Amino acid sequence: MILIGELSLWVALLMAAWAAVTSFAGGALGREDLITSGRRGVYATAAMIVLASLGLWTALLTHDFSLKYVASNTSANMPKIYVFAAFWGGQAGSMLFWALILVLYSAIASWSVREKARDLAPWAAGTLAMISLFFIATVCFKANPYDRLSFVPADGRGMNPQLQNPGMAIHPPMLYLGYVATSVPFAFAIAALIARKLDAEWLSIVRRWSLLSWFFLTIGITLGMWWAYVELGWSGYWAWDPVENASLLPWLTGTAFLHSIMIQEKRGMLRKWNVVLVVTTFLLAIFGTFITRSGIIESVHSFAQSPVGTWFATFFFASTAATMYFVATRLKDLEAKAELESMVSREAAFLYNNLVLVGIAFSVLWGTLFPILSEWVRGSKITVGPPFFNTVNVPLGLLLLALTGVGPLIAWRKASTSNLKRQFAFPVAMGLAVGVMLAVLGMRDGHALVAYTLAGFVAGTIGQEFFKGIAARRSIHGEAIPIATIRLVARNRRRYGGYIVHAGIVVLFSAFAGLAFKKDHDVQMRGGETKEIVDPLGHRWRFVSQGVSTSETLNRLVTAVGLEVWRDGVSQGILTSEKRQYFDSNHQPQFEPSTEVGIRTSAKMDLYIVLAGVRDETAELRISFNPLVVWVWIGGMIMAIGGLIVMWPQAEKRRAPSGYVATLEPAKRELVAAP
Amino acid sequence: MHRRQFLARGVAFGGASLLGARVLGAQQGEQQASAQPAPVAGQQGGSSNLFDMDQGASKTVVRPPKPGATPSMSTEKRNELETQIRCQCGCTLDVYICRTTDFSCAVSPAMHRDVMTLVDGGYSAQEILDAFVSTYGERALMSPKREGFNWAGYLVPSAALAAGSVALFAVLRGMQRRAVPAPVVGGPSGPELGSDDEMARLDAAIRRDD
Repeated sequence: MILIGELSLWVALLMAAWAAVTSFAGGALGREDLITSGRRGVYATAAMIVLASLGLWTALLTHDFSLKYVASNTSANMPKIYVFAAFWGGQAGSMLFWALILVLYSAIASWSVREKARDLAPWAAGTLAMISLFFIATVCFKANPYDRLSFVPADGRGMNPQLQNPGMAIHPPMLYLGYVATSVPFAFAIAALIARKLDAEWLSIVRRWSLLSWFFLTIGITLGMWWAYVELGWSGYWAWDPVENASLLPWLTGTAFLHSIMIQEKRGMLRKWNVVLVVTTFLLAIFGTFITRSGIIESVHSFAQSPVGTWFATFFFASTAATMYFVATRLKDLEAKAELESMVSREAAFLYNNLVLVGIAFSVLWGTLFPILSEWVRGSKITVGPPFFNTVNVPLGLLLLALTGVGPLIAWRKASTSNLKRQFAFPVAMGLAVGVMLAVLGMRDGHALVAYTLAGFVAGTIGQEFFKGIAARRSIHGEAIPIATIRLVARNRRRYGGYIVHAGIVVLFSAFAGLAFKKDHDVQMRGGETKEIVDPLGHRWRFVSQGVSTSETLNRLVTAVGLEVWRDGVSQGILTSEKRQYFDSNHQPQFEPSTEVGIRTSAKMDLYIVLAGVRDETAELRISFNPLVVWVWIGGMIMAIGGLIVMWPQAEKRRAPSGYVATLEPAKRELVAAP
Repeated sequence: MHRRQFLARGVAFGGASLLGARVLGAQQGEQQASAQPAPVAGQQGGSSNLFDMDQGASKTVVRPPKPGATPSMSTEKRNELETQIRCQCGCTLDVYICRTTDFSCAVSPAMHRDVMTLVDGGYSAQEILDAFVSTYGERALMSPKREGFNWAGYLVPSAALAAGSVALFAVLRGMQRRAVPAPVVGGPSGPELGSDDEMARLDAAIRRDD
């Protein structure tokens, strides 16, 4: 199987080249036989890459240490689940994994449009095959997981212990599924530009795949934050590391696109802008990968001594040039079919939202690249860390939160003053009530106060929209509240799924603002010693050390300290924090020791205990109180659920004239029909 | 734009890109050359996607104590100061977070000791930061100083957003002038909130907007 896998990789390279050539030739010459051959080439490439992937998984699971990749990333005593996940744990494997997702997406996309988008299909298939060709060539020539060692070691090096975590087994695939999905809208954007057909069909395809990308990126980013929080032990979840930033960039522009595409759907406007956003999202995904893989920017994640950076840079510049050519030569085909009628309209609000989202993306990109720029200009290295990003992005983030609440309140085309007063009255009142209440209760952090006031405003907007929708259904159909709520969402999935995403944003920003009240304490404790600490909410905590213990299990030596925890005199049980030293099958230490944090989660606050070290039987600990952290994960989940509701495929079928129209009384039908 | 026009502009842009790529490539090579020692034969390091720690990165930051010096700040303030100084082991964390998280790092405890010595020597926060910058260079700070070229780092995002806002405003004004006026939605003569009529309209609107 391993040999078949290795050979399949090379066959896939030829198949991808064939698919690209025949698809483009078929599109240019209008020859159906070439188009069909190109599409089959895409399917064959997918089949070959699946075989290549199965071959690598076989090598990993059978511990074939003759392969350099297997020896570098696994060891015989690693748990099977992490041996399986090692497929994407190293450079070469993750490149093959990327190629695997790409060819599967390409096959699905080519198959799904083979009949209904005949003008676009060959160009899209050709573009996808070109992208696949690049990735497969990179795997074959620069990062081949089938490279062999000149000898067969008795055991492998193993996986970095910080990657041996359930979050890390799921987080990279989710991010890759999101990153790679940006290729399909990009391919269809290029196809539409070449074929000069940016019509409703194009919109529908691109929107679906952009949603898929956004959905997986949201899950991937949230899981990444969770992994960093529970595994790295620095008591935070976002450090503005270049690799984190790289995942955020396509998410930001993808979110901007999902808003602006609505304007094109409803009004035929922003055609140029939407094409720019689609291709920018893909190019940022590639650029982010370049940052991760090249080692050009210092990052806690960066792959050391990577040879693929130059290839990615070349691919990035070539893709950018090709895109610029097609956009520049087809500007006339991208003219808007309608004009904006008012600065105070839903369309304008979406554009303001786009401006802020793209502004944040630019500031993140700028901050990520500024150390390089500074080195070019001044010749000295600088660090652009969290203080910089927070200074620049917190105000923009708050502005974005405000716009999240404003957009849904403004009518399409043009809104009147009385309409605005009616729509804004309740959400503004709710926001102010939250702000005043928190100020009276003693909150003095300016950013947090503004964040919670705006969160109250946006929550008011969402609540009002749901209330009006449910009231409408109850009035017309006489439904009970739970039924009306479910049907409201089920029959208007795009609209109310979107509001659920906004609710997730509110939860997320509220959780972010909670970190303003975070408190850290450094303590040293011997066995039996007691410490008392007051948390930011005024609760009195007592910690009684149970002493330091060591134990050996499976592939690691564990040094642990247990603390008996009391809050306001009530026992909370024992919380343990560990340091783990992993070793190989010969009992030789591997990697640096890693941290296992002791976390006690509650809705209000996490108690977070890190064992920093042990000296003379004395444990050195950092005890942190992290307010509202659990709401970051909940907010991410709400956003993902909202995204799932929006993109649920049945939504389109069910939007056909059923439900409302069927049950309306004759008089109300006339109203519905009225302009 | 015609194909020839695009190609002419493309040549100019391509030249600039090529130059940029060469600089990037040179920088990449430089970084690789100064990276960690090669992994032990047979272990094939460098493919994992987490950094390798540089345990020898610490340098001594020494200043003579000021006459009659007493500690210049509380422990809490000192910890806060350490969050502005970057650990040089390659972890990208600040000294405080690194030293309280990872006992395998020898760099952040060494830098912490230097901070403590300077605090005990009566040096202010700014003087301590300056001492670290003079030893390690500006990369000792978690964010660039607000001076000289660094202002570009802080101001360009805001300037770009301001420019974007002006451009958007101009585009919207242009579109607004070209547009055919539309009737306002929900104007003074429109139905009141909560009436049956509005409910029906809302229901219709919900369906229409979907």
